[in-house]
Amino acid sequence: MGNTWLKLILLFVLLFFLQVWLFNKIHLFGYATPLLYIYLILKLPVDMNRNVVVVIAALTGLLIDVFSYTLGMHMLATVVAGFMRYYLLKIFTPRDMFESVLPSFSSFGYSLFLRYAGFVVLIHHILLFSIESLSLFDPVNLILRIVGSFILTMFLIFAFESINLGSFKK
Amino acid sequence: MRELFNFIQKNVHWLLFLLLVFLSVLLIVKNNQYQRSKYLSVAHEITGRIHAVSSGIQSYMNLNTENADLLKKISDLENEVYFYKRTIELLNNTTQTESIEIDSSSALVYNFIPARVVYNNISGTENYIQLNKGSEDGIKPDMGVMAPNGIVGVIMNVSPHYSIAISVLNPKFQLNCKLKDKNYFGPLVWDGKDFQYTYLENLPSHAEFEIGDTIVTSGYSAFFPEGLPVGTIVDSRKQKNDNYNSALVQLFADFSTLTEVMIIENSYKEEQNNLLRNIRK
Repeated sequence: MGNTWLKLILLFVLLFFLQVWLFNKIHLFGYATPLLYIYLILKLPVDMNRNVVVVIAALTGLLIDVFSYTLGMHMLATVVAGFMRYYLLKIFTPRDMFESVLPSFSSFGYSLFLRYAGFVVLIHHILLFSIESLSLFDPVNLILRIVGSFILTMFLIFAFESINLGSFKK
Repeated sequence: MRELFNFIQKNVHWLLFLLLVFLSVLLIVKNNQYQRSKYLSVAHEITGRIHAVSSGIQSYMNLNTENADLLKKISDLENEVYFYKRTIELLNNTTQTESIEIDSSSALVYNFIPARVVYNNISGTENYIQLNKGSEDGIKPDMGVMAPNGIVGVIMNVSPHYSIAISVLNPKFQLNCKLKDKNYFGPLVWDGKDFQYTYLENLPSHAEFEIGDTIVTSGYSAFFPEGLPVGTIVDSRKQKNDNYNSALVQLFADFSTLTEVMIIENSYKEEQNNLLRNIRK
């Protein structure tokens, strides 16, 4: 258990610095910005208390908000995504699995994990960019931003998971 | 009573969820007030220190282009100084009966304070810039910020060692600008798309302008002196209302590599603001 927490804290620190120092500055084709910090919410243990998940989601979102000067935006999107995670896990968790395991390619299998991640990321991105567009509504721009960023974030999640899988096999 | 207790216990996750949603919505709705609030300046002191680490590394990578820009700025200033020296010489040579007294305080209405960018975002819709000068360096809210080649934003919030400026690339920021030499003016508004371009809106339809014309600050607000460079016109379009045109403006300041800026202090700002306040009463 202590090992899992240590892993999660390290992951959190890594994702946080990557997000505020690198990913926030990426603006591919003028639309796509990866929001990889949501990966932390994906990787929380399957059996973690859903209240704890939502609180962790809120704090993560708030911290990203403070460092990108967008108060409340990331917090709201991450809280909703964290809340929906419980229901998505109920659908996508394989039946014959130890409950304390972290969701990953190796524990879920490629297809289930990607579908689970896809839904969480999609909820998060739709909300985030919709809130952002409140200040300047432009439907075409909004859809391009959601789709572009979704593809980029999912690609990075795939890359991170593949690296993880490699280190497990050693 | 017990049923109520049971109900709360069963639905505690919903209550917690709704509470957190409420909190974040409150933050979003009150965003503009919070951006100016004193509480946030504590957070900015911390974010400033963390961002300063990465900007230190980044500024090394941009050193070449920065140097070239600064050299160009210096040579322009040298030319200007030379021009003024010549003018003074000529004035001295001509017959002059009495010397002109220039009050030193009135001559320097605007002070330029150099600062370095520690954080700058161009990927969001509402962008902010964090600078490494704060209230201890005499920075106050509502001071203008410019890069060597063009204006960049206006200070919103200060902490002891850092300050936050609202970027030109933010729809909430509207600055009155005008065509150089022509005096047609309008608000500069960003459309949230490309960090190189912004729009000068509400130009009267009879206002003639050409592609390549320079846009400068109008000096109608206390943020910037008149005539600071903003950008050049690259295209024009009709607004929905037929009486107005708007011009697509390419900004002089390169927001993707912004590192060295100047904060502009207006020593008459208090006076100007008081005047405005008196009128509104």
